[in-house]
Amino acid sequence: MTKKSETIGAIAVVGGGITGVQAALDLADMGYKVYVLEKSPTIGGVMAQLDKTFPTNDCSMCILSPKLVDCARHQNIEILTNVVVEGIEGNPGNFTVKVLKKPRFIDLEKCTSCGSCEAVCPVSLPNAFEYGLVKRKAIYKPFPQAIPNAYVIDKEGDGKHRGCVDCMRCVKECKSGAINHEQKPEHLLFHVGAVIIAAGSPPFDPVVKPEFGYKKYKNVLTSVEFERVLSASGPTQGKILRPSDQKHPIKVAWVHCVGSRDASVNHDYCSAMCCMYTAKEAVIAKEHASDIEPTVFYIDVRSYGKDFDKYINRAKKEQGLRYVRSRISEITEDPKTRDLRIKYEDDKGEFKEETYNLVVLSVGLCGAGERHSELMDTLGFDVNEFNYVRTSADDPVVIKPGIFVAGSFLEPQAIPESVMQASAAAANAAALLKDSRGTLVTEKKYPAEKDVSAQKPRIGVFLCHCGINIGGYVDVPAVVEYVKSLEDVAFVESNIYTCSEDTQKKIVDAIKKHDLNRILIAACTPRTHEPLFQKSLRDAGLNPYLLEMTNIREQCSWVHMDEPAKATEKAKQLIAMTVAKTRFLQPIQEAEIPVLQKALVIGGGIAGMTAALSLADQGYETVLVEKEKRLGGYLHKVYYTVDGIDIPRLLKEITEKVSKHPLIKVHTSSQVKTLKGYVGSYESDIQTPTGMIPFSHGVIVVTVGADEYTPHTYHYGKDPRVLTQSELEKVLSESTKEDIVDGETFVMIQCVECRDEKRPYCSRICCMQAVKNALKIKELNPRSEVFVLYRDLMTYGFKERFYKDAREKGVMFLQYDPEKKPELESKNGLVVKVHEPMLGEYLKIPADHLILSTGLQPNLDNPAIGKLLKVPVNDDGFFLEAHVKLRPVDFSTRGVFVAGNCHVPKFINESIYQAQAAAARAATILCKPTLKAEPNVAFVDEDLCSGCSICISVCPYNAIERVEEKKDGKTVIHAKINEGLCQGCGTCVSACPSSAIQQRGFKDKQILPMIEEMTEKKLVSYLKES
Amino acid sequence: MTQKVIKVKDNDVIGSTNEFFRQLLSSGKIQALLVPQNTPSKKVAFPVLISDPKKLHADIIAPILPASTAAMVSKMTKVQPPAKPIGVVMRSCQIRALIELVKLNQANLINIVIIGVDCPGTFPLNTYAEFPEKKTPTHFLLEAWVKKSDDAEKYFRSVCRMCKDPIPTNADIILGFYGTDFEKEIIVEAHSDVGKEILKDLPLEDEKEGKSREKAVKEIRDEKTKKRALFLKEKEGIKGIDKVAEFFDKCVNCHNCRQACPICYCKECLFDSSVFDAEAYKFLRRAEVKGLFKMPNDALLFQLGRMNHMILSCVECGLCEQACPNNIPLMEVFIPAAENAQKEFDYHPGKDRTEKVPMIVYREDEFLEVGEK
Repeated sequence: MTKKSETIGAIAVVGGGITGVQAALDLADMGYKVYVLEKSPTIGGVMAQLDKTFPTNDCSMCILSPKLVDCARHQNIEILTNVVVEGIEGNPGNFTVKVLKKPRFIDLEKCTSCGSCEAVCPVSLPNAFEYGLVKRKAIYKPFPQAIPNAYVIDKEGDGKHRGCVDCMRCVKECKSGAINHEQKPEHLLFHVGAVIIAAGSPPFDPVVKPEFGYKKYKNVLTSVEFERVLSASGPTQGKILRPSDQKHPIKVAWVHCVGSRDASVNHDYCSAMCCMYTAKEAVIAKEHASDIEPTVFYIDVRSYGKDFDKYINRAKKEQGLRYVRSRISEITEDPKTRDLRIKYEDDKGEFKEETYNLVVLSVGLCGAGERHSELMDTLGFDVNEFNYVRTSADDPVVIKPGIFVAGSFLEPQAIPESVMQASAAAANAAALLKDSRGTLVTEKKYPAEKDVSAQKPRIGVFLCHCGINIGGYVDVPAVVEYVKSLEDVAFVESNIYTCSEDTQKKIVDAIKKHDLNRILIAACTPRTHEPLFQKSLRDAGLNPYLLEMTNIREQCSWVHMDEPAKATEKAKQLIAMTVAKTRFLQPIQEAEIPVLQKALVIGGGIAGMTAALSLADQGYETVLVEKEKRLGGYLHKVYYTVDGIDIPRLLKEITEKVSKHPLIKVHTSSQVKTLKGYVGSYESDIQTPTGMIPFSHGVIVVTVGADEYTPHTYHYGKDPRVLTQSELEKVLSESTKEDIVDGETFVMIQCVECRDEKRPYCSRICCMQAVKNALKIKELNPRSEVFVLYRDLMTYGFKERFYKDAREKGVMFLQYDPEKKPELESKNGLVVKVHEPMLGEYLKIPADHLILSTGLQPNLDNPAIGKLLKVPVNDDGFFLEAHVKLRPVDFSTRGVFVAGNCHVPKFINESIYQAQAAAARAATILCKPTLKAEPNVAFVDEDLCSGCSICISVCPYNAIERVEEKKDGKTVIHAKINEGLCQGCGTCVSACPSSAIQQRGFKDKQILPMIEEMTEKKLVSYLKES
Repeated sequence: MTQKVIKVKDNDVIGSTNEFFRQLLSSGKIQALLVPQNTPSKKVAFPVLISDPKKLHADIIAPILPASTAAMVSKMTKVQPPAKPIGVVMRSCQIRALIELVKLNQANLINIVIIGVDCPGTFPLNTYAEFPEKKTPTHFLLEAWVKKSDDAEKYFRSVCRMCKDPIPTNADIILGFYGTDFEKEIIVEAHSDVGKEILKDLPLEDEKEGKSREKAVKEIRDEKTKKRALFLKEKEGIKGIDKVAEFFDKCVNCHNCRQACPICYCKECLFDSSVFDAEAYKFLRRAEVKGLFKMPNDALLFQLGRMNHMILSCVECGLCEQACPNNIPLMEVFIPAAENAQKEFDYHPGKDRTEKVPMIVYREDEFLEVGEK
């Protein structure tokens, strides 16, 4: 398919961390060619180095690795590693990206990652992936799941240590001839329509803060180093040992805000994720070794995200995390014990000293312009005072037309925000390049499939030596002889590398020559290699699902290296088992689900309008349904911001754009009444003032917003001097200098009726609302008085500067303990009584105005909407996304997406990029007229099904419903699986008590023969031996 | 709860309850009644669905549970519940079973009025049919009950002696025999709005004091619980594959137990399918393991499979045991297994319709691996 268009249907993504990977996957799924340009030898970024992720304690690598594999497998993505971007020229839609590709000294096509080179390399130098906590060779793979899955030679070393010494032993050792010490740097040019910068930002190096003793004292680690200590694949295999003596520490301290909120290093910003990862590290450490006594030194605990407060509370209550509110002054070492002494001033102003076995510095991030200024300089981007790239808050991911940004290159932030921005950047790029979508991607043509379903099985078995990985321990020729004796096996062959290009040709030839109709590959894991072999089957005219793999490497040779005879025996058994299944393989046709290329957006606030615009700009017809009379939602209650968005103008402009867009139809005073169907083909009935309007669409975006919570305490509603923050904002927006007299006193109370048992969440925006309104009051009359009574001031990221600004302008911030909430005395005027911990006394502040920060409360309709759309709502009443880290705008129900305040309270810029992200994710479905269904779906035998609905309860994708049908005049009830929604996880299959559900590719009659083969043979040999 | 009484005329307990049922049917508030009634041979009392009050000669005390009433309600309501209310007279174990079936979507309580009856216990089907005493089983039982003697105890099915709870729960209406001199007055309690509405217009008298009922209920529950605890202690030794295999030695793989179980609801049992058919060489291979292989090959697997499927919902009605043609005392393994399995999941079958079956509940701390916590 080629289309004439003026833009180039390709995008360069600079940076291959989770942000770059997400942007690349979204765009590639939409039909664009993507070049991922990564500086290091592997994609994965910092997330690959993390042990677990908060607040779910998911294993970081376990959730990242599938994305990396997807990226590597994707037909439309080209990954280039070891590259440096030297320049971007051109105009939106048509850029040339100049790149220097540094030599890897390894041929990626040939390297099979067998590792024999590493074994013979004599050079040892600090392993950068492990932050130098252990050593590696000069020829190395950064980590086992690295993508590309290949080695690299370090010729340069790290300044102190020499790299490769050109001994050439690796060349001799490499059986696939993949090593080339003569590789030279290359200059490459990429022609693309848009560029996404996702280059990340480096962690702060605490060496410049000598008071923390980093690098001076061995037992002071940074938090990123500690992630490796926690990691099961890290230098200590997950055992918590301290560096000086490899002993297990008991007393461990974390120090917050190292390199963050610190003017002395020009880091007047908060790094936004450290409070949470600190709690996570302490919790995980405690899980690893329950005798650890964790102490956290903090200024504020910024638990502003979804379920963060609950995490912190649990950490305190269940894991016994001790929080000490103090900025520490110094860390010194006891030279005898190598223990560390921390001096600090506690919240009562007393100086204390405590001893710890290990100290972890919770380091923040540095602006990209600070540490790799070459990229910033090369690209000539405008930077802010913190050396981060500058964008406008109402267009948050756009650096300049055609060049977009995402992730911590933009602002220090955690993974979900980065992932949302990645998708948002993808949406922006897709809108710009909508006319060239699909022009640069190719689809491979395969020969027609032979129908072999009725043929007697003729199984071809291909065994892999994997260099010495398998062949060194398993007697492969003996296994080949054994496999030849198995029933239905028509052909057996072993190869040094079954995955190599020439072996693929051999497989295709063997299938044709020997008329093979089922194929078994005994090698490594299907996770990385199955698609490759499936392609070979298709090349030979076989259905790709006539392939089965068995892992004789990770699950055999690698784990039985010291018992080769048993490993050989096990390899035979594994293959015999898999032959038992392969015999029963049947072709599977991938179903195509038709997609109506239209979208429904529910909720017309800033998120809904942005999502609709983004979808329409990408060329998709969109219907926007708003319950109220006018578009705008909560934005009508916002009058000004500190980050320079002209709210009334923004509201007016976006409302106009939405209303005038030819592809958007707006229904106000309307509601979605009924919804039928599933991803690709939904049918809604929309109740409008002029009657019911039907609409057929392929996807749904939910953006129903949230509203300010109405308080019931502090005389609110009874005393006109008591207002909420947004009511104050309205008053201030209409005030002039004269309206506030000298000495007029405003007292603001934060966290009113929230972050408590009833509403156990932080609303994220209220601290900033208070700071914003305090600054406005001070602007109107600097001689006014403003007191902010707070628990933890959640001015994360660059918002910190406004907090500082407010303090400098004389706004008084007083921290209160949630156990001692401020009280109101209003006998003669308003007097707020608050406990001041430093003084240990109650202060009484006479106030003219009392302002309550109550946060947002979720839309009360959310449960009903959730039921209609089959998507979940969490305990707090907000919508629950598919995965808090990596799928922040998706629901587990395919085809439904979420953005804005109904997901969790957030700022305007955050709603904007989340809405764009939702549009991007929706577009990955809308971009094609059909959607490929998962091949390995489950299906119901209606005659066996009793309709008990256990499967419905356990299905994580809402793919099953209970249906009532007339059959031969009788009513029958049974479960029905929607193939468009089923993801083939198999949960229902195992839950069904009646064996009425089977899964394609994993049917009982395919699995049971495997078990039979294994149990009986093993039992026989076991009993004969003993 | 509304408490009323049926006045018993001439010590005729059964007659008086039947009078109550006839009034109930005639009131038009229910269109039919499922109630145990002796067959013409008088050898067994089976539930009968009665729509004509004239045909009603029920015996709700008849100490027999020939088949699961819960399964009958399931059959009647699963595909489509009745359009008008049907009253179903049930013992506590059967109500518990019905609640389980409702959770499993195998029964529907729409327009089903549960009338629970206090249960002193039931006799095995053959004991009832060939009752050796001179009186009918019902009269013998009533007499023993009034005298508070343990004359009937020796005839009870063993599972009834240690009944989990003889007092109905989750009923709309309860007919109470504990805590009243039932030769004079039978307690009628309404436990739901539906129950209240139905009793409202019936010619019943108000109960004067409810304390004795409360006390008697507690006493009987305590007594049964104590017996059950003793039994559990006594049977805790049946553990391990050898003991279990020995226990099921007499099993002929007839699947009667499964047929009798109120909860078992698969349309086609896996053990009736061809899954366990295999080529002769496979049987031979199994024989080669020890030199011999006991047949039928899947009897023990069937027993363990059935237990695996049913144990969390087991309401201890003992119908499986009663159905066994070879008198395998199934409850000796089912009660301890149910006790342990249900405790593990903190699950209470038959107690509350809203309590989800463990199969569909995920708890983060469920079955932690050793050392995880």
